Amino acid sequence: PVTAGSIVVPYGHAIGNEKWRGSEMAQRLQGKIRLIFEDGLGLVDFHLSSRTCILYISEADLVAGDEFKRRLVRFRNASSLRGIVIVEKTQISNQYFMAVQKLVALELGMVLLPVSNQGEASQLITQLVSFCVRELSRERSSNPFLRKRCPQPAEAAVVRTVQQIPGVGKTKALLLLQRFGSIHQLCNASVKELELVVGQTAAQQIHRF
Amino acid sequence: PPAPLQRPPSLCILADSKEISSGAEVISCLKALHGMKVQVCSLGSGDYVVSNRLAVERMFLSELLSPASRTKVTQRIQCLQSTFERVCVIVEKDRAKAGETSRICQRTQCCDGVLAALLQAGVRILFSSCQEESAALLKDLALLEQRKNAAICVPTEVEGHKREVLNFYLTIPNLSYPAALNLCHHFGSLKELTNSSPVEIAAGAQVSMQKAEQIFHYLHYGFDLHMLP
Repeated sequence: PVTAGSIVVPYGHAIGNEKWRGSEMAQRLQGKIRLIFEDGLGLVDFHLSSRTCILYISEADLVAGDEFKRRLVRFRNASSLRGIVIVEKTQISNQYFMAVQKLVALELGMVLLPVSNQGEASQLITQLVSFCVRELSRERSSNPFLRKRCPQPAEAAVVRTVQQIPGVGKTKALLLLQRFGSIHQLCNASVKELELVVGQTAAQQIHRF
Repeated sequence: PPAPLQRPPSLCILADSKEISSGAEVISCLKALHGMKVQVCSLGSGDYVVSNRLAVERMFLSELLSPASRTKVTQRIQCLQSTFERVCVIVEKDRAKAGETSRICQRTQCCDGVLAALLQAGVRILFSSCQEESAALLKDLALLEQRKNAAICVPTEVEGHKREVLNFYLTIPNLSYPAALNLCHHFGSLKELTNSSPVEIAAGAQVSMQKAEQIFHYLHYGFDLHMLP
């Protein structure tokens, strides 16, 4: 059975599939995050938040054949949750990695993260949980990739743009902008108007551009 | 409608000029193995552009592992995010230097932290173990984008007057290289562009409405000498 619906995950917790009880990963996780085990999670191994969940593919799954592919496709079809696939990439399973990445990341459009053992996976999951917590607590600005950059005044950029017109250097660019105010108006200026600011040759060059 | 027998044009990827030295094998694989057209140009930010909206940054695993390069990585990605709708990072395993036995790469908390932050921000992450694999991933990404009608369709080589106009467009803040190319080919003159509405700009440059409005505002921006630093 596929559990497709979202599960309510308490703040700062993660919900693990019953089958992980007593595993190395669970033991390592328990010191760092609060882990609750639940039956009947179906295809999912861990729920990190009500929107994000983890599917774990072990080295053995990879070697055993295509069963894990069916599992991923079933998950993708049944659920709108954000699925993160963690895959054990070891010396033995390395040869399958590129094919798995193509399926998961490019065809199914899910996230794929390689780890080399359960220890690394637990460290990764800990970080993911901490980001899920921050997302809920509206501390989004702590993520540098989501922070809005403060808008810079456009003046310097406008001058640089106008300087790209042939025959216009910094001095002429400043004179032109002072007279016409914006690139839009500069482009709609007639040769006569331009001649009042710069010389005849430059005016014609600008107008032609 | 195009002639049915016409061969589809080969896919085009833009590569930054610094990749000639750092990713020579990626470029030659794309050309020789996958038969793609690779146009080397000065992109400014990002290593590869595979479609009108997707930029790809090639990054070494060692950069991700060491906290020292964290700010640099962050800046590079932020820069791409302000320019492109979609950003993808290819994490490539470092090439083993001659005489070096396999280095023990300890996975760091910093690395996991950056990965988690990137994921949360919607950046796509792919892993590769060599330049050849990176090239294969770039090809797959380009094919995927082509299926979604975002491929770069305009000629990427421009010369003479068009070149000057392209350089003009490239100085517009946060305008991507493919968008500048599209503007260059779509609008007959600068005057035509500056007299266009945001809707027309969006269609011409193949950018989002939001980005088109930014361009529109930039072109109409009232210059104030006193604001200059």
